[in-house]
Amino acid sequence: MSFTIATSIEDALAALAAGARPVAGGSDLVVGARHGKAPLPDSIVAIDRLSELSTITLTDDGLRIGALATHAAMMLDATIVASYSALADASALVGSPATRNVGTLGGNVMNASPAMDTGAPLLVFGAMVELRSTSGTRSVSLPDLWVGPGSTSAAADELCIALVLAKRPARSGSAYVRLEYRRAMEIAVVGAAASVTLNDDGTAGHVAVALTAVAPTIVAVGGLDAALIGRPVDEDTLAAVARAAAEQSAPISDLRASDSYRRHCVGVMARRAVEAAGRRAGGEAIAIPVNRAYGIGASR
Amino acid sequence: MTPTTQPRFVRADGPDKVTGSGRYTADLTLTGMLAAKFRYADVSHARITKLDTTAALAIPGVFAVLTAADVPDVHFGPFVADRTLFARDVVRFEGEVVAAVAAITPEVAQRAADAIVVEYEALPVITDIEDALGAGSPLVHTGWSDYGAADPVVRDRNDASFSSITKGDVDAGLAEADHIVESRYVADGCHAAPIEPRAVLAQWEGDKVTIWTSTQVPFDARAGVCETLELPANRVRIIVAHLGGGFGGKCGFHYEAHVAALAKATKRPVRLLFSRREEFLAPDRRREGMVIDITTGVRNDGTITARKAWIAIDNGAYTADAGFFPQLAAMHVAGPYKIPNVHVDAHLVYTNHQPSGSVRAPTAPQTCWALESHTDEVAAAVGMDPVAFRRLNAVDTGAVGPSGQTYGEIGVQQCIEEATKLVGYGQTLPDDEAIGVAIGWWPSFAVPSGAYLKLDGDGSGQIITGAQECGTGAVMTLRQLAADELGMDPENFELVYQDTSVAPYDMGATGSQTLFNNGRAVVAAAGQVAEQLRKLAAEFLEAAPGDIVLADGHAHVAGSPSSTVSIAELAGIAAGGELLIGHGSGAPPAAPPLAGSSCVGDLGMASFVAPQFSCHAVRVRLDRDTGVVRVLEVGAAHDSGTIINELGALGQVEGGVMMGVGQALTEGTQYDDQGRQRNAGLLEYKLQTCADTPVIRTHFVQINTPDAGPRGAKGLAEAPNVATAAAISNALAKLVGKPVRRLPMTAERVWEAMQS
Ligand SMILES: Cc1cc2nc3c(=O)[nH]c(=O)nc-3n(C[C@H](O)[C@H](O)[C@H](O)COP(=O)(O)OP(=O)(O)OC[C@H]3O[C@@H](n4cnc5c(N)ncnc54)[C@H](O)[C@@H]3O)c2cc1C
Repeated sequence: MSFTIATSIEDALAALAAGARPVAGGSDLVVGARHGKAPLPDSIVAIDRLSELSTITLTDDGLRIGALATHAAMMLDATIVASYSALADASALVGSPATRNVGTLGGNVMNASPAMDTGAPLLVFGAMVELRSTSGTRSVSLPDLWVGPGSTSAAADELCIALVLAKRPARSGSAYVRLEYRRAMEIAVVGAAASVTLNDDGTAGHVAVALTAVAPTIVAVGGLDAALIGRPVDEDTLAAVARAAAEQSAPISDLRASDSYRRHCVGVMARRAVEAAGRRAGGEAIAIPVNRAYGIGASR
Repeated sequence: MTPTTQPRFVRADGPDKVTGSGRYTADLTLTGMLAAKFRYADVSHARITKLDTTAALAIPGVFAVLTAADVPDVHFGPFVADRTLFARDVVRFEGEVVAAVAAITPEVAQRAADAIVVEYEALPVITDIEDALGAGSPLVHTGWSDYGAADPVVRDRNDASFSSITKGDVDAGLAEADHIVESRYVADGCHAAPIEPRAVLAQWEGDKVTIWTSTQVPFDARAGVCETLELPANRVRIIVAHLGGGFGGKCGFHYEAHVAALAKATKRPVRLLFSRREEFLAPDRRREGMVIDITTGVRNDGTITARKAWIAIDNGAYTADAGFFPQLAAMHVAGPYKIPNVHVDAHLVYTNHQPSGSVRAPTAPQTCWALESHTDEVAAAVGMDPVAFRRLNAVDTGAVGPSGQTYGEIGVQQCIEEATKLVGYGQTLPDDEAIGVAIGWWPSFAVPSGAYLKLDGDGSGQIITGAQECGTGAVMTLRQLAADELGMDPENFELVYQDTSVAPYDMGATGSQTLFNNGRAVVAAAGQVAEQLRKLAAEFLEAAPGDIVLADGHAHVAGSPSSTVSIAELAGIAAGGELLIGHGSGAPPAAPPLAGSSCVGDLGMASFVAPQFSCHAVRVRLDRDTGVVRVLEVGAAHDSGTIINELGALGQVEGGVMMGVGQALTEGTQYDDQGRQRNAGLLEYKLQTCADTPVIRTHFVQINTPDAGPRGAKGLAEAPNVATAAAISNALAKLVGKPVRRLPMTAERVWEAMQS
């Protein structure tokens, strides 16, 4: 067993090329090993000291979030809160203060759990993942990255460097809503993110919805634009969103919920996410995380 | 004697625990110490056809592998001797210990445990408590007529213990009723889930063994070691380091003998540390699942004429301390109501589940949940407000309860009034909110206890008590009682406790009994020292002992405050002559008599000594789209007699309420069809968190209670856990339009109830 601490990205890439697995916060890798999910890898390289990977930068092309950005940093970042609110909503719901302070965006994305909370927001933002290895850098879309529960298309020697989120159009809002049985240390039973861009007349210009924990990976809800563009974000629209989300979900039954309850609730989450995103797009300030504001497992 | 009622109570163990300087059992290490691991059955019911430890013993670093063949052939158990240290021939639940390993590291020990070869012939797995009572059910214990058992136990197939209460004529009572309401409620089992998974460390010196263990009941643990390893009590010493919570889960005798046997076999100290998963699966202390049928007859004017009930309680594979559960459940389903005609049957049923045992107020939260949800249904049947209905029917001072006990002064009516006031019962609420109300009760347990108290030459004192501090602060409060008796400051006393070879017997942190009984013992012990001090002071001040007053660290002559001497000075004088040593026990109060009822399977719980009463009123919000429930506000009013340490008492109520919220909404064990737990861990077994805590407002109704403990105190540790789930249920029923008849009332179950 070997454990090394990378002091530069090159270090880390070399270690990966030599067969090591990266560990960032360790809140999936180490905790999973302790629970007998998968044994610790024989060779581990710690990347948590690569401070250049924890920056959050707004550029002309959009927002670049380093793989080591923690949930605690994201939920407080002014740009994310204002323009990518769904991601702040999601980060604010992760585990507990301790989890949010060690858990990273790169870890969440590369762990590829269908119940991961940042996944649905990233999907509605059309985020691209920047992967790097000793042989170069490439950019991959999330649907191409996530191939199944806990599994990605990244090669073993590829390090996630950053997530790049496209610039937000004017009159846009987003939200992430999760069903939770308790207010901390919860795992998504189901969740939904929405991004809404309004036309000047207040009707929907673009609507994207993605769902958590109802399929082998985070999935986008298809066909919404066609059904909703040009219509006001009203009761009918929201009902259509709920229907589409429920219909397109393929949930399992497990200890947390039955498939039928999940299917029903993911519709509720989707409708709430779209409603909140629409209101945010219209300029209304709804506090992070929107779950609390909506009273979902929480006080209003 | 001036009571030093302190505004803020500082726990003597608080700074140690908060700063980390305090030691828990898992922090202790001894030279040459080995690690223990168990091999569990993993299957719920099977006959062992092969058990081979050769491969395990061959692993380098393994010092011993023990099975049933290596320990005395002793069956034990407080009510039914159905248990052995290691499985013999048959395993009856997944967490049963088949073998134990001691090895150089925990990893090697685990590898060895895995290398033990066990082969089984499957036996039918019995998981459903109602089926298990059926005539055709296979038996969990085929040969249990041969086991020893307490007298009231009737050995009848899977019926491990049966109790009934009969009062008046229940059929005649039902015939008088204008309405008859029948309900069925079903509760899942759940767990105590203390933060500290248990740990045991044993070391032999010659023929004596010292065992450090995270137990709530050191003397019980000692008795278990003595019984199973066939040792006299004076060769076994149990010491408890700081205990990281118990909630009943660490009551009883568990693994002390296994570890002692390993230590003996290896001639080394051996330490066992449980994982969280083991803490869920193995101990015989899980809160029992129950099926509860209740029928109540009521007149149009709201008076209850009769109650009939049938209860089945999941005992699991072994009886542990659950033998008295049927009687307690019977009392709780009858409830603190004036009912002239009662018939209750309650059965404790063997299954192949993990054994049940006393978790905080055993049987009460589930039974109270069922009864009080049912009570709201009964009130609705006669169109009465549920609070008014309870005020009319609840017992009161001088009233006769369901088992024929006539109550002295009790505060249940005041509890109803105060709890409802605390949350503004009757106010107009948003349409997704409602307030539910429930009442509950719980006995105080009068049992023997003893204490020593000494003052050393410098006037500082030690209280040597057998009491066990499980986090309630009850032991800490003993300092206050001693100080008040001696006119000293609580800070003058150190506690010596949690060591069976040093202190007199105590039942342990169980049955809410610590302050109730130890308080009596400490007051008696301090009284002896006070007597000594008065005599010394009388000589010193040239007065009569009867005129000496002990106050503010001094002895003075009544009426002449200038004629005074410090207690420290008196202690100095005593150090050169007759030492200041007191001891006390005091006779526990007797159980009040019963009239007009008969109890089969009576284990002495049909008559409540110094009964405690409570009313919880809870405001909840329901998310109607998902069934998710939030508890927003809890008003908890308790009659637990005199409150000696208010800060500690508030902590008990708040903790009990939160445990109740968890039981109400999220905490329930799920089983597969083979009787194995599916959510044996904190990921899928959902405790409440700080973030879920509602506003909790507490009021103590303090009245004079006959037969109470020191200064009129009753118990308090379990009572706050009784009525919360019930009150939540009643609030929820208002929002859903009907009760949710399964506990926990999970979001999905609430949603399902709304669909149908
Ligand atoms: C108590 C608790 C509560 C939790 N609650 C939530 C929750 O509410 N919502 C939620 O979504 N998650 C939750 N998690 C899971 C976890 O905290 C998050 O997924 C977190 O973001 C993981 O980040 P990490 O840095 O700790 O990942 P690690 O454990 O370090 O890594 C996870 C995986 O990603 C790989 N990896 C990490 N960084 C990179 C990289 N830069 N490039 C390539 N591969 C990489 C690792 O090799 C590993 O396979 C919880 C975990 C715990 C322990």
